[in-house]
Formats: sequence, C-alpha cells, structure tokens
Amino acid sequence: MSNTQARVPLKARKVSFSWDDTPLHWVPGDPFTTHTINVLHLLLPAGERWFVHVYKQVLPLIRDDRLRADVVGFIGQEAMHSQAHDEVLPHLREQGLDPTPYTAQVDWFFEKLLGDRTLPPGRARRWWLLERVALIAAIEHYTAFLGNWVLNAGELDRRGADPTMLDLLRWHGAEEVEHRSVAFELFLHIDGSYGRRVRTWATAFSALVFLWQRGARFFMENDPTLVDGKASFRDFYVRGRRGLLPGTGDMLRSIPRYLSRGYHPAQEGDTEQAVAYLAASPAATAAERRVS
Amino acid sequence: MPKLRTAALVAGAALLARRSLRRRVQASPLWPMPALDPPVSGRPRSRALRLLLTAHETVADGVVRLRLEGGRLPAWEPGAHLDLVLPSGLVRQYSLCGDPADTSSYTVAARLVTDGRGGSREVHEQLSEGMELQVRGPRNRFPLVEAPAYVFVAGGIGITPILPMLRALPDGTEWRLLYAGRTRASMPFLEEVRGLAGNRLTVAAGDEDGRPDLDALLADLPERTAVYCCGPQGLTAAVEERLPEGATLHLERFAPRADAVGTTAFEVELRRSGRTLTVPAGSTVLAAVRRELPDTAYSCEQGFCGTCQQRVLEGEIDHRDELLTAEERAGSMLICVSRCRSDRLVLDM
Repeated sequence: MSNTQARVPLKARKVSFSWDDTPLHWVPGDPFTTHTINVLHLLLPAGERWFVHVYKQVLPLIRDDRLRADVVGFIGQEAMHSQAHDEVLPHLREQGLDPTPYTAQVDWFFEKLLGDRTLPPGRARRWWLLERVALIAAIEHYTAFLGNWVLNAGELDRRGADPTMLDLLRWHGAEEVEHRSVAFELFLHIDGSYGRRVRTWATAFSALVFLWQRGARFFMENDPTLVDGKASFRDFYVRGRRGLLPGTGDMLRSIPRYLSRGYHPAQEGDTEQAVAYLAASPAATAAERRVS
Repeated sequence: MPKLRTAALVAGAALLARRSLRRRVQASPLWPMPALDPPVSGRPRSRALRLLLTAHETVADGVVRLRLEGGRLPAWEPGAHLDLVLPSGLVRQYSLCGDPADTSSYTVAARLVTDGRGGSREVHEQLSEGMELQVRGPRNRFPLVEAPAYVFVAGGIGITPILPMLRALPDGTEWRLLYAGRTRASMPFLEEVRGLAGNRLTVAAGDEDGRPDLDALLADLPERTAVYCCGPQGLTAAVEERLPEGATLHLERFAPRADAVGTTAFEVELRRSGRTLTVPAGSTVLAAVRRELPDTAYSCEQGFCGTCQQRVLEGEIDHRDELLTAEERAGSMLICVSRCRSDRLVLDM
C-alpha cells in the first residue's frame, strides 16, 4: 500500500472564530442546506472528543515512531475541531435554536454507549479498544470525503454563504484531508482485520445516517423562523444535484471504495489542495501569527 | 391458503408496528436515545469574547484606560480581572475597574512598564480605538469577602481592583484606604477615590510624603478586619510583614513573582507510577514525564489543545495554558506549558 502523496507533518492550529455576524440561515434563503450542514456542530464536539479519548489509550500500542508522531498530531487537530464546533452551539442558542436536547443525546452516545465501559483488563478491554479504533477509521473515511467535498463546493460561495462558517468548514475539511491516512494506518497497524473493517463500517455508516437525518429534522422542526419546517430525503437529493450538499451518487460510490481490499485513504482527496487552503485560510493564518 | 394468510399477518403486524413507532416519535421527536445529564457539549470552556475598543485614553502619567464594548457581557464582581489577548498573541491580566452594573462594556487600566515583558508597551503603543480585541474571563481571584471592617492598601495601578470594591461597600461599613504612588500625577483615579473615601483616605506620594506609614494604618484594627492589598511586591511584602493578629490578608500581585517568570527547576512525583523526577529550568514537565512514561498523551505542546491535562495532587501550580477553566485549574494542569511555583509537584499518573 503505497502512499504516493507527500507526507505533511501534522500539527494542531490554534484557530478561533467570531460568530457575532453569522446569521441563523448562513446559506441565504436555504434553511435546509444550512441545517443539514449544521448537524456537524451537533455531532463533532462530542464525537471528536471521543476520538481523542480513544486515541490516548491507543498510544501505548503503537510500535512505529512515524505513525506515533502522526497520531499525536491527529489528536491535537481533532481536539481543536471539537472545540471550534462547540463554540458555534451557544451562537445557535442565542438565535433561538437551542441544540442542547440533541447534543445531550450525542454526548450520551459517545460518552456512555461508546465509552470505556467496565470491562475486565485483558482480551475484552483490548477487543473494545480495537473495535473503536476501527470505527474511527470508518468515520474518518467520511470526514475526509466531506472535507474534500467542502473544499470544492464552489456553489456555496456562489450562493453567498457566510464567509466565517465557510472558513470553519474548510479549515476543518482541509485538516481532515491532510490527516486522512492516519486513522486507517493506525487501524492497519494494530489490527487490520478485514472482517472488523466491514463490520465497523456498517455500524458507523448506519449510525451516521441515523444521527444525521435526525439532526436535520431536529433543526428544521425547531427553527424559530420556520412555520412548518420539514426535512426530507428529496430535499437532500435535489441539493446534492445542485452542489449545495454532497451528491447522493458520490456518497454511494464511496462505499465500495472503503470496502475494497486495496483501499488506502491516500487515494481520496488532494493533500496539496488542503495544504494550499490552510496556507490561505483566515483562521489558520491568524493562528500561525498568534503562535510565532 | 396458508401462505396468503401468513403474508397478510406479517403485513398487518408491520403496519401496526410502523404506526406505533410514528406515534411514539411524534410524541417525542428525539425518542429513543437517552441523554447525558448534565450535557457536556455546547458549553465551550474558553469562549473568547471579541470586544471593540471604544476608548483608549491617558488618565495619569503612564496609565491608559481602555473601554471595551460588546453585547450582553458576562457579569463580574469587584476584584475580578480579564485576560486580554493582545494582537501579538501575548496574554495579560487586567483588573476590571468600571461599574459591575454596566453589562455592555468592560473598563480596565494599564500602566506602562518600560522594562517589562512587552505586554504593557503593546497596550500603550499598538492599541487604538476601533480595534477588536479578544478577551477571556472575567475571573475573580481577589473577591470582596464579608467582614466587620476593611483596610485597603493600593500601590499605584493597584487601585484598579479596589476601586469597584469601594463603590460596592454598603453604607456604614468601617473602612480606610492607603493609596501610595510615586507622584500624584502618576496615580490614576485619584480624584474619584478622594470623592468616594473622603477622610478615610491617606495619600502617600513618594516624592512629597515619603514612604507610606503602614504601621499607623494597621494599628488598632477591630477583630477579623479584612486587609486588601494590591501593588508592587515591596508593598505587598511590607503589608504581609506588619499584618496584625486577627486580621485576614487578601493579596493581588500585579506582576507575577520573579520566580514564575523565569524557569526554575522543581521536582515532580508521579504518584501512581511511583517515580520522582526533576524538571530542569528551561524544560517542560511533559518532556521530563515522557522520558519516564513515553506513552503519555500530548499534542500541541503550546497549551491550547488540552490533550496533556493531568490531575494534580499536591503543589502550587503555575498555570500558563490558555484553555482550562477556573474549576479545572483547581485540580489539574496542562503539563506541556504549565509549571510549579513551589519546589514539588505531585501528579496523579
């Protein structure tokens, strides 16, 4: 499995965003697109905190210094993603759309259902750790897919989407593309079993679809500016065709790629494009200035 | 026709199940997942405020007063301070000296320290009205406690946390104030303090009155008097030395103590692994710990990602991170940047 693209040393960037000027419907006149993408803010704070929690426990199992350095960089980037999305939630609340009923469930999902559990040390504990590492690898396939999509989603710019929100999404997306190989390589390094890859993909994919449609419906039904807000698959499909959301066909085509035995994340997305975005992103360049 | 009957039964059962599920979801749209109580997400730990600098004016020799405006701002009580993130990235603490009832702006004052670490110079020379500044806080390490009587000792810019305290004291409280400075012209808010304190005020300007008479100030205090002192180290040390028995001392040092700025060596005990190691000056706790425990989690090494947070069992922590909340600071630290003020730190690892 060769990684033909250049390796970039991974490091966390200390970004911060100001949400004061971001309207509730930050894709103007399109609440469905806004809220479908907003589901990210519901899932990622707890989800990426959980990545960090799991990976901290994996560090002792890594026997490869380069991979360990990648995982260390990955952890910091994920921690910053979690913090950055978390800061959007109070802004939604200020605009009359309180996300807490939903995020409290996502918190339960990652902290309890997928948490450490009281397992005897030894095989059971190791099995649960490997299972979660494989789940993360499957989820990272989709974060890289979405990251690559948002870096190329010119339609959002043409519709006048809020620049701060686009910068958050693209900074995040670019870092996801930048570190897309880490989770899968870690999975190969400590386990790599094909059966586990398929099983955890099925779990992760079903959970993502379940949580995402639920989040979009939650936002549409609770949006204070919509009288009878509804979310439907048709809305999603139509916006996918227009380039406002990921295309349904593209998403279906990415499934066999992950399940193919020759899969490697390096084949997805473009590191150079990600690095170029990070070099120009307002938030990332401000972080660079702050550190130096 | 048993086949047809089975199919009809299954279809009927499926219809019923679908209907009851729909009803259940309609009654409570977020069914069937439990929620975490209390929730974690949506309460960011360090939500920085971005405030507009609407006034930057000189109020005494070498002292500027800043007014930062924003929307509904978090409330604060006398003694609280703000973390001001300067454009260069330096973070400096300034006591709030405005009116706590004003929820749309914060007021702080800063003295120029020409031989300092550059923060005050930046505040004086680089900031101007109309700029947007990042602010964290407010936090209160110097709260006004209830006491039968109060003595306040302010040295120069050290008047800033005390000023809102004077305004907040209930009528009829017994208190006095010693306000010391180099020259009268360099002492900010002198007129306002005079108006608030009247004959309870003693002004000691070094060029006119000589050294302040602390012995007279601290003589004949009622039992349980609260003594509040904010000023340079010479002044706080002198008050500490002369504190009469029965009085309680509340100190706010406006420059970190000399040993906190530099890097001194100290000892770290890792209690659970039963190891003790030395953190040399100029190195970090994380580097020392990783030599013993190479699998210790960390990432950014700059005090913002939070990966290396560890519980602290003993020792006076010198927090240098930009992430932890006040509660987290009480019992944990980010070992990549934070250090220890005492000579021994005990970590739960």
